[in-house]
Amino acid sequence: MVILQATKIYKTYGNKFNKQEVLSALDLKVQKGEFVSIMGASGSGKTTLLNVLSSIDRVSQGTISIEGQNLNDMKEKQMAEFRKRHLGFIFQDYNLLDTLTVKENILLPLSVQKVSRKLANEKFHAVAEELGISEIATKYPNEISGGQKQRTSAARAFIHDPSIIFADEPTGALDSKAASDLLNKLSDLNTKRNASIVMVTHDPLAASFSERVVFIKDGQIYTQLNKGDQTRNEFFNDIIKTQGVLGGVQHDA
Amino acid sequence: MTLNQLIFRNIKKNLKHYYVYIFALIFSVGLYFSFVTLQFDPALDDATEGRKGAAAIKSGSVFLIVIVSVFLLYANNLFIKRRSKEIGLFQLIGMTKGTVFRILSVENFVLYVGSLNVGIFLGFSMSRLLMLILFRVTGVTDVATLRFSSEALLQTLIVFAAIFVLILIMNALFIKRQSILSLFRVTNVTQQRVKKMTVFQAIIGVFGIILIVFGYYLSSRLFSSVFLGNQLFLVMIVILASVIVGTYSFYKGSVSFIFNLIRKRKGGYLNVNDVLSLSSIMFRMRSNSLLLMIITSLSALSIALLSLSYISYYSVEKSVERTIPADFTIPDTMRAMEFTQTLDSEDIAYSESAIDLLTIPVDLSRVMSFTGEESQDMSYTDTQMIVISDAVLSEIDVAEKGVLFVNSDSLTEKFLKFQRNQQVVFQGKEHIYNLTLKGTERVAVLPTRVTYGFVVAVVDEQVFRKMSVDKDPSITPEFTEYHGVDIENENDLEKANELFNVLGINEWAGHESKLEERTKQMQSAGMIMFIVGFLGLAFLVTSGCILYFKQMDESEDEKSNYTILRKLGYTQMDLLKGIQRKQLFNFGIPLVVGLLHSYFAVKSGWFLFGTEMLTPTIIVMLIYTALYSIFGLLSVLNYKRVIKDSL
Repeated sequence: MVILQATKIYKTYGNKFNKQEVLSALDLKVQKGEFVSIMGASGSGKTTLLNVLSSIDRVSQGTISIEGQNLNDMKEKQMAEFRKRHLGFIFQDYNLLDTLTVKENILLPLSVQKVSRKLANEKFHAVAEELGISEIATKYPNEISGGQKQRTSAARAFIHDPSIIFADEPTGALDSKAASDLLNKLSDLNTKRNASIVMVTHDPLAASFSERVVFIKDGQIYTQLNKGDQTRNEFFNDIIKTQGVLGGVQHDA
Repeated sequence: MTLNQLIFRNIKKNLKHYYVYIFALIFSVGLYFSFVTLQFDPALDDATEGRKGAAAIKSGSVFLIVIVSVFLLYANNLFIKRRSKEIGLFQLIGMTKGTVFRILSVENFVLYVGSLNVGIFLGFSMSRLLMLILFRVTGVTDVATLRFSSEALLQTLIVFAAIFVLILIMNALFIKRQSILSLFRVTNVTQQRVKKMTVFQAIIGVFGIILIVFGYYLSSRLFSSVFLGNQLFLVMIVILASVIVGTYSFYKGSVSFIFNLIRKRKGGYLNVNDVLSLSSIMFRMRSNSLLLMIITSLSALSIALLSLSYISYYSVEKSVERTIPADFTIPDTMRAMEFTQTLDSEDIAYSESAIDLLTIPVDLSRVMSFTGEESQDMSYTDTQMIVISDAVLSEIDVAEKGVLFVNSDSLTEKFLKFQRNQQVVFQGKEHIYNLTLKGTERVAVLPTRVTYGFVVAVVDEQVFRKMSVDKDPSITPEFTEYHGVDIENENDLEKANELFNVLGINEWAGHESKLEERTKQMQSAGMIMFIVGFLGLAFLVTSGCILYFKQMDESEDEKSNYTILRKLGYTQMDLLKGIQRKQLFNFGIPLVVGLLHSYFAVKSGWFLFGTEMLTPTIIVMLIYTALYSIFGLLSVLNYKRVIKDSL
């Protein structure tokens, strides 16, 4: 089942005379329960792609639908409604509210949906257990480590069982141990909860935790790699190779 | 690009940041200039007696300078912090601190001169309005004209040049103290570090509330207890200190303590209102507690002063009515006849009441006591008291063995208590009169000038006659008779007053015209109310602005939070609702605390200023609240924009 479908999307900035095309005629499909990574060099349009896919930004042309609902047709209010039920977010700089405790931060998506307090508590315990952050529930963000912050952020993304989770460089600010910790947890949750994940990253190691890697160059899909039956190490090597081919700047003779 | 071009572009680019600062400047200059223009306006002397009004305005303008300079320094401080990154960048590309300071100073100067011009222009146009208001409250019928005063201009320029130098010094210190690295971080540093609620803080919180309540309690006992009354000054200091310290700890601890309790109860499950109001205010209020304490205490002060001055203005009519019962008071038969004959010849209808006054030694020890505790060292045995006959008062009849006290009022009753059905002993030359006190009435029979503010005894006509035969000739009171002349037709009052003055009757001691007295009191009360009102307004606007600036800053800081929340699916409406609640607390808490403080301050001593407390105080408080709310609304609008831009 296709959960996210983007067809021929364009995104341009600037005015009529000075156009900057960031995405051009890009197609993408994500299946239910799939873990997809998007890779590409700086300025290739990764983050723009994630923003338009996650309804934070609008496309200039083309359609994006999530669970069969077309994002283009939605008004601001419907968009917010949609985000609160179907989407989850994880960011590079955690985006936790400093004035709230870990638990309060995680429960935010439930409170916006007006879920009963009892149910909210149950869900919190389940997700906190899975991510190993039960002990820090009453701590404030500035009292915990980066890895713990990012796991809190992940818990917040998962707690309301969204159909798709968008992660923007989730490991960007973490050391390698915390990063692989988080990624293991993410792929665990991915299989356990059957939630699709779309992750933007420039770290091949992070990408190797996913099932499919989409390479973007100049606003278009350059190539895709499927993990298939490979081990994570083999997949990692594949990704490195592709990145090598992709990464170089072409020198015209 | 030369330095000048850089400065010019900076101003253009930063105008968005500057507008707060420019507004603050224009406002301050306008306020000050219009006020000083009044001081130098010759028409002012007509509104008040001689130079008295100008002197009052002059001392008011000193306060205004203090308010304005604190305000400007604060605005400048906020503004330079916002630009700290830019200052850091300039240094990074190799400018010396001196050059950066020069750039900032020139920029500041350009803005300053521009705003000064606009402010003076606005102040000039405003001064006529002010003059009109002043004439209105003092009851002067002059025409207010627009007059540009060069003295006022000069004074304004000097004052603002001095403030400019202060600002420059502050900027220089700011630049000197900061390293490049810290400049880049300055906006982050100001952000409150989120800390856990400690037991110590809970204690401070409870302590603060107790201190405030203690201060209120003391203030309510201030004039009703002899012990406290004797130490008036000391007690006032204690009240002030406990309320101020209490307010500080209230912001430091109580608010977060209370909010923390509410939050605990929610068990981690916060809705958007809680997220934006409770959790944010909890931490912010603590770090702003000093500022909030100052704002609260000063607004309490200005509300209290406004209320008191309005009470005295509001009560002029009534208090004149009480202190001078008749239109004309003439405590001398010859002059009363002279006056009434003149009135007759001028065909002015009037009614006259004549009362004979006896001054007799009296022992009041059994009937009179000070309110509150008993005091041993006071003796009421050798007082003198004015006695009149009940025959002159149509509505009062006193039995032969009885006595009634009249001319009492709320102020007398505040300090003195008269015990009914106890013996009052009058001491004649030969006889002693034992009379029973039947009661105390608030009827104003004689003017205060004649009674010296004390109550007057009314006795039976028979007893009065006996007393007047029996009086001690060695007692020579100032007044032995009283004539009150009331003009029947109100339109004749002006003319009668003129005759009263022309005949020279007004020059004798105790000879009073009610009309003249009222005008005099109106003028002085009106003048005080005007100045206090003006300063109060200036303070209101500056403190409102400071809170607003603070909120503007906060909204920028919290912008990233709104981004997160909107990504989580909160709509702009959801966020705005939370913000509205936050603003309700942010502006509401200082306002409510200020109003409470001022209420108790006014309550403790209002009777010294007038006869009516509730109506004028409530009117002042309502107006203050309304004007103050404008800033709350403005800040909600600002947040609305920030939220909209956040995604």
